[in-house]
Amino acid sequence: MRDTLPNLDLEIDEILADPQYEGHPLRAALEQLYQRQQDQIGQLERLTSISDGYQSVLNKRYQTLTERYQKQLRQLQKIVKISDHYQQMLQDLNETLRIASTQDPLTGLFNRRLMLDRLENEAALTNRRNNVFSVLMIDVDHFKNVNDTWGHNAGDKALILIASTLKIALRSSDVCARWGGEEFLILLPDTGETGGLEIANRLLTAIRGLRIPEMPACQNLTVSIGLAQYRRGDKLDETLKDSDRALYAAKARGRDCIVKALELSSIEPTVKAM
Amino acid sequence: MTSLHVLQTMSKIELSATTSTPAVTADAQTGNLEMRGDSYPENSFEFFAPIVEWVQDHLKTPNASLDVALHLLYLNTSSVRAMMDIFELLEDAHKSSHAVAVQWFYDEDNDRIAELAKEFKEDCTFPFDILPTPA
Repeated sequence: MRDTLPNLDLEIDEILADPQYEGHPLRAALEQLYQRQQDQIGQLERLTSISDGYQSVLNKRYQTLTERYQKQLRQLQKIVKISDHYQQMLQDLNETLRIASTQDPLTGLFNRRLMLDRLENEAALTNRRNNVFSVLMIDVDHFKNVNDTWGHNAGDKALILIASTLKIALRSSDVCARWGGEEFLILLPDTGETGGLEIANRLLTAIRGLRIPEMPACQNLTVSIGLAQYRRGDKLDETLKDSDRALYAAKARGRDCIVKALELSSIEPTVKAM
Repeated sequence: MTSLHVLQTMSKIELSATTSTPAVTADAQTGNLEMRGDSYPENSFEFFAPIVEWVQDHLKTPNASLDVALHLLYLNTSSVRAMMDIFELLEDAHKSSHAVAVQWFYDEDNDRIAELAKEFKEDCTFPFDILPTPA
């Protein structure tokens, strides 16, 4: 249709210019019609170009928005990723702190703090169930000599070796902690005097066979053990003191042996009576 | 003299560290920004807005250079975001020929911080060094 238009336009131009049609009523009508058609074409073109303009503005805006959206999305993903890593780092740090606050760094055993928690829990449980538990207070014999004669390195090795030996010899429900310098405390849940004595003997034997390369073969590592029980209604402090006194009695009896707190308390009244 | 003094103090930031915010020093005259510590402020926007604004203002100055030294440990999410905003300002400044650089220091014993710094560094085209400091 477009192709025919220029020809038609030319034809009409020629007709309108031709003097022979001057004054002809159809010529006037044609002229008006032609003018109107030209105006309408102009209007249509303007409309189209305005509309195209709008479309291109919107298009540009859409592109900018998309770009901005993509950029922010990338940024968000990056923030989330980095933030997750920080959280992971914090989590790991927590775990490290938890271990540090409950473990003895040298031997890997629980420390005194955790042991006190466990003892308190066990005491509460024992009170509820009307049960009994035993504690073993263990001290390495002549440890000062080991340190002084064979060096602190030898002392540390001895402690590490004793700690791992204790752990292996114990049941999974027993709790073993480094209580002080060369002192270990063991909690034996649901265990009375007989059971406690049995385990204490086992530990004594296991440690008697230990050797460290720094010390000559004739030098044996030995420990002394104080055994005490906690029964319903007892005071935890008293049980610990009992085990301590039993330990000192074991030292007094020549070391490398076990003393039961119960045998002490049966002697004590007699001593007092005298 | 006084007006110069005021101008100088206005272009300086000096914040001491708290348990939840890092120590911040910024000096427009030397073109240095330093942040040191943990960052998990209760209101991150309030804390970071003046710092971001300082960076923005400083980089508006023609030929202004900026050296950023970071000794940051823990950052919460909104602090991560604020740091990325700052890096973006640096990126724009770098593209318009400002001399900007970041040095992110981390404790030799804590190379996870270095990994995190690397993630920040991604997409940054200006000099961004991640440097160990002896523990």
